[in-house]
Amino acid sequence: MTPRGIQIISGPDFNMFLEAIMAVQTVIGPRERGDQPGYYLFSRLQRAEDFAPGYKTTTLPPKKILASPKEKLFSFTFDKPPRLRLHVDASPFVLLGVHPCDLAGIDALDHAYAHPPAEMRWSANRKRATIIGLDCQPDAYCFCSSVGTDAARIPCDLFLTPIDHGYLAEIHSDRGRQLLQKANTSNAGEEELAAAKRWRQQKVERIRAKFDAPLERIADILETGGLTPTWKETAKRCYSCGSCNTACPTCFCFDMIDELDPDLRGGTRYRTWDSCQLLDFAMVAGGHNFRGERWQRVRHRWQRKFLYLFRQFGRPYCTGCGRCSRACTVDINIVDVTNQLIAAAKMEG
Amino acid sequence: MMPFARKPRVAFFDFACCEGCQLSILELDEKLFDLLAHVEVVAWREVMSEISEEYDIAFCEGSITRQQDIERIKTIRDKAEIVVSLGTCASISCHNALKNKWAMNELLALVYSEYGEHIDTIPARPIADVVNVDYQILGCPVSLPEFETVFKRILTRQAYTPSNQPVCVECKRNDILCVHEKGMVCLGPVTRCGCNAICTAFGDACRGCRGLIDDANLEAPVRALFGEKLHPIMAEVARNNRLTGKEIIARFSLYNNTGRVGKGEESSDGTA
Ligand code: SF4
Ligand code: SF4
Ligand code: SF4
Repeated sequence: MTPRGIQIISGPDFNMFLEAIMAVQTVIGPRERGDQPGYYLFSRLQRAEDFAPGYKTTTLPPKKILASPKEKLFSFTFDKPPRLRLHVDASPFVLLGVHPCDLAGIDALDHAYAHPPAEMRWSANRKRATIIGLDCQPDAYCFCSSVGTDAARIPCDLFLTPIDHGYLAEIHSDRGRQLLQKANTSNAGEEELAAAKRWRQQKVERIRAKFDAPLERIADILETGGLTPTWKETAKRCYSCGSCNTACPTCFCFDMIDELDPDLRGGTRYRTWDSCQLLDFAMVAGGHNFRGERWQRVRHRWQRKFLYLFRQFGRPYCTGCGRCSRACTVDINIVDVTNQLIAAAKMEG
Repeated sequence: MMPFARKPRVAFFDFACCEGCQLSILELDEKLFDLLAHVEVVAWREVMSEISEEYDIAFCEGSITRQQDIERIKTIRDKAEIVVSLGTCASISCHNALKNKWAMNELLALVYSEYGEHIDTIPARPIADVVNVDYQILGCPVSLPEFETVFKRILTRQAYTPSNQPVCVECKRNDILCVHEKGMVCLGPVTRCGCNAICTAFGDACRGCRGLIDDANLEAPVRALFGEKLHPIMAEVARNNRLTGKEIIARFSLYNNTGRVGKGEESSDGTA
């Protein structure tokens, strides 16, 4: 996406920019975990120094800010008629340091949630957020270039690429332009533009994990079926623990729970994250489970990401972020398994 | 909303256990008063000396480990409208069932030598193996938020089933860094959640105190640890812990010695 303007901002100016935003709005971004150096999470930044621009990845994607793992929906009473009170939070915030894959993840959810019946809560939360993207360098799990998200910019307002002594800031919306007015910036020259280009080139060159076939072909393979031995072999190692889904920026399945007030006269309804890998996920009334076998659930994850939603929305529901592979403690790596499927499909002819 | 005709009378009873679940409930502090406002407590050894023989809701801690326990729990069942097995000892036998690896006479000789013959002991069993149980609460000790939820469900006559999701789900919901990343061995992927991942939240590994999820894949870690291709995380875990198959089984059998929740299975041989 072509930016509407490009500026540069020096490191010290950037910190002042952050402090200026923090004075009026909450800023949420990647910061190092207190309990384990070298690991990061999205969380509220109190000071400019909390921002960890060099972070590789976070356990959870920024989705956790826009669709919280346990989201308060409304409170209710048992009066006649019952009284309902919608829980809304309209306070604006800045979501800082979102990598292209995670921008693509937010965009994927924008499409899924806009699909009728539209999900109001997501769009309300999205309106609260000003998003500042940040370019990155891959680790061994990243495979964004295989799913076309390595240069994603939608839906950010500003996008930063690290250059010597600061950032190159692309403006992608009016909101972004307005926000950047808080900063000391200067026009980008040839040299800075070239530096940012080098950064992007290096990034793509450094990506090691790759799918062995284009997405269309993968969808066809999944549609044709078969491949049962690969699914079953993978399932032998799978715990069905759901970490792959719950760490994924595009998964949106949920459960509902009601918690009663201590006086038992009312309560609160929450929406919590769920996962199709869990045994009870596809259990229906009467006790029938239409994905009761572990391998069927493993298969479902791939079909969902690379077939059903791919056909429905014209994009894979995978951003190449690699979080599912990192989260899996038993080495079920999404790229390896996909490539095994591609190889198995060749064999099956 | 109060579907009981009168304030239900609540009693706490203990079988073989440390009484830690009863004790930890006291840590609900002021919330405890909110909950107790709906009931009349008639027996609770940790808190009061009076004991009444009339009650509607019986919270029973501990495992059945003696012949006389069987009679006692049957009496409780006859009197109470609602029986709750409170905690892992009551619900899946916990450490008590470690003794089930031995024949009882061998065990008695081992522990008490010639005095053993005077001691009444039988293989440890969860309460649900002896009488019908209406609610099960897991945990060693029980998790306070879950206890609160179950208490409110009982009072409003709603069912409660312990979660069948693994602890990993709650780690993710709370954005807790997986302890595998620190080279620890975690039983979370096969252990029922409901504790809100309290151990991993404080940097410790899950020890499996809430029992196995249905369909737990116990083959998976063994494959990951001893398979040809080691996952980097698992390699780290293996390096730090130098685990053998026997040690893995020992870890599993700290809590998981009898059948699974809700299945009312007979005591097994102790290897989960
Ligand atoms: S994280 Fe790994 S073990 Fe857990 S459900 Fe996903 S693939 Fe299976
Ligand atoms: S499927 Fe895995 S790699 Fe793809 S978006 Fe989800 S977590 Fe990231
Ligand atoms: S710490 Fe344990 S319970 Fe949590 S995600 Fe890791 S393996 Fe699962």
